[in-house]
Amino acid sequence: MTPDIPRSWVLALAPEISLVILLLAVFLFDRLVKPTERRRVGLLTAWGAFAILLLTVGIWLVGGEPSTQTGLADSLMWGGMIRSDGVSLVFKLMFLVALAASSLISLDVERLQRGEFFALLIAATLGFSLMAASADLIMLYVALETASISSYILAGFATEDRKSAEAGMKYFVYGAFATSVMLYGMSLIYGITTQTNLYLVGSMVMNASSIPAEANAVLLLAAVMIVAGFGFKISAVPFHFWTPDIYEGAPTPFVGFVSTASKAAGFAVFLRVFSAGIFGAPDSSSMWWAMLVAMAIITMTLGNFVAIFQKNIKRMLAYSSIAQAGYAMIGLVTMSPDGSGATMFYLLMYLFTNIALFGVVMLVGKETNSVEMDSFNGLSRRSPHLALVMLFALLSLSGIPPTAGFFGKFFIFKAAVDAGLWWLALVGILNAFVALYYYLNVVKCMYLYRSDEEDKPIPVSRAVKVGLAVLIFFVLYLGVFAGPAFEWTREAAGAFFALAG
Amino acid sequence: MDPTIDQIIFLIVSILTLGAGFVVVTNRNLLYSALAMMASFLGVAAIYVLLDAGFLAAAQLLVYIGAISILVIFAIMMTRRLMQSTETSFNAQWGMGIFTALVVFGLFVAVIGNFWPLAPAAGQPLASGTAVPDGMLQDSIAALGRAFVSVDAFVIPFELASVMLLAAMVGAILVAWPKAEDEV
Amino acid sequence: MIPLSWYLLLAAALFSLGLYGVVARRNTIAILMAVELMLNAVNINLVAFWRYMTPDRPVGLAWAVFVLTVAAAEAAVGLALVISIYRSRDSVVAEEMDLLKN
Repeated sequence: MTPDIPRSWVLALAPEISLVILLLAVFLFDRLVKPTERRRVGLLTAWGAFAILLLTVGIWLVGGEPSTQTGLADSLMWGGMIRSDGVSLVFKLMFLVALAASSLISLDVERLQRGEFFALLIAATLGFSLMAASADLIMLYVALETASISSYILAGFATEDRKSAEAGMKYFVYGAFATSVMLYGMSLIYGITTQTNLYLVGSMVMNASSIPAEANAVLLLAAVMIVAGFGFKISAVPFHFWTPDIYEGAPTPFVGFVSTASKAAGFAVFLRVFSAGIFGAPDSSSMWWAMLVAMAIITMTLGNFVAIFQKNIKRMLAYSSIAQAGYAMIGLVTMSPDGSGATMFYLLMYLFTNIALFGVVMLVGKETNSVEMDSFNGLSRRSPHLALVMLFALLSLSGIPPTAGFFGKFFIFKAAVDAGLWWLALVGILNAFVALYYYLNVVKCMYLYRSDEEDKPIPVSRAVKVGLAVLIFFVLYLGVFAGPAFEWTREAAGAFFALAG
Repeated sequence: MDPTIDQIIFLIVSILTLGAGFVVVTNRNLLYSALAMMASFLGVAAIYVLLDAGFLAAAQLLVYIGAISILVIFAIMMTRRLMQSTETSFNAQWGMGIFTALVVFGLFVAVIGNFWPLAPAAGQPLASGTAVPDGMLQDSIAALGRAFVSVDAFVIPFELASVMLLAAMVGAILVAWPKAEDEV
Repeated sequence: MIPLSWYLLLAAALFSLGLYGVVARRNTIAILMAVELMLNAVNINLVAFWRYMTPDRPVGLAWAVFVLTVAAAEAAVGLALVISIYRSRDSVVAEEMDLLKN
């Protein structure tokens, strides 16, 4: 008995299936290479991720799938577990880029040169990409846990480093707690609607006759609990406690990965769950909408103001990443294709920017054994190219042209103004000015201050050079030709809202 | 209204489960906590039996009592020097903890009790388990098994769970491996 | 005949107990046990909803089995991390993890 599986179902999962194959290949390859050539495992992962990236783009260009024209019923696959639409494609590509770039950056870190590290990176990527595609609460939960469990281990991976072990433990404790709270909320949703598919739940909740009005209180409770789980993933205040500690203690290349891919996956589920309307219609009339707006404002402000006082660059970047989540939430709360597209564009630019940034932090940290701000003193004389990469990345984070970050913020604020939320855009812009202070502080260290070791350039391997060059190329490319990319994400986000009409 | 037999059983099991749960979160000796946790899991398994979910009750016995509790007790024994410490096992937030837990519980009771009535009249929906043919409940295990491997149901999360278990296994071995042999 | 809400209340009480344990305990193994209580509470919810609302579709049952699987994986990873940190610090008390200052 062979089950009758449509070709499009298999094609939609081709990247994930390839990731599983790559995972097993990495384990096998790790046994075959000599201990002295362990860095080739990382190269294999990077090449594999690149090949899967090409495969995904190929399927999309040749087969025209997923297309934004496909109706909801046709884009739901595997018993409604996943939805193959533009959004899942955009996020899938993001995660593959993050995997390739992070493995390039980590392959020179000696204590991470193990097959297990890269295998767990791949498992986390698999979880993230299924999270972004999942259209069912059960699928969402399993995918989220796959990604989380891999991440806990990755954070504690450098077991000989006490800080890393501690980071892994803290990440685990906070993470396990947040997901069980989220799970309780999800079980209530199932109890009210008897469904687990997001779109079935959404249509029931939005159709006033199918569930009684008393359910609204239960729905709100479920919304708060589910937001706790998702907020943990995107490190939104007040679920951000873990962020600085994990960023400081975990291995730097993994921090680059978790700060971008994990955040993007969190936003993907945020966008999908809320636009499907499982807590009520996706507009500004509901209680949870006000809650999200408040979260966005507090997240931005707290992140930026605390970041000013940080001396350790990884902690500073942690608070900066909290603040960046706040900006991205503005796009989310507009609840429009423009806003969601802007959030996705923002995450895309943040991905290139932040992995490049953590790449430089890793190189400098490895050489100077310190990630305090003053280890960046005189970097422009020591390694001008690295300083340049860092400069562009910091400009992008603070939103200064000609980098991608400028358009990232521009599209978000424009979507907010178009949606009538000009005051929210204003808060965002004021925050961007505050952020300028601490980003430029690092630039000041690199270009104006001197250090005793200026004659010793920081060694950079070819693989890392290529990785950083490609990332910065995209930061600048998106900073000049942002239009087509934004059109792409905006059209993809349209899939969220097409079904409401 | 006189309580029926299954209501009495339910109440006894609930009190056992919650009482054991209370010991888990309050006892200073971790080993007692772990044993109480096993008792609490046993109570939950009995609840599954009351809910006609025999398979899940068996899985609960195997996974929670058989595996997770043993794992926890191993971990406690391996870190046993800590159990001799006489200092308090609660952090400074315990007062806040009680407050939070009570507020959350009150909220749950208010919200859930409002939607699903606490003392419904006999005729009301959900006052008792939906009357279903015995065959359906007996068939539920087979239906569950089919659902796990059916392409129209849970095959993708099922396969993903296997990847997750692989990642967890590899990761747990790696993280817990003694460091002296790290270079081997 | 037990009303559905009784099961839900039991789950809510167990969940709150777990919540208290997570907030108030110092030892990470104790926190882990409290999280397991919370997951059990969720499972009671799921199975009760399955029995009372969708006895014809095994959705809640399947979900509960997934939660069980995840709980096992989580416990394994969590306890491995506990042992790893114990090796390097001789302590598994959450508050004494102070290298990463809050």
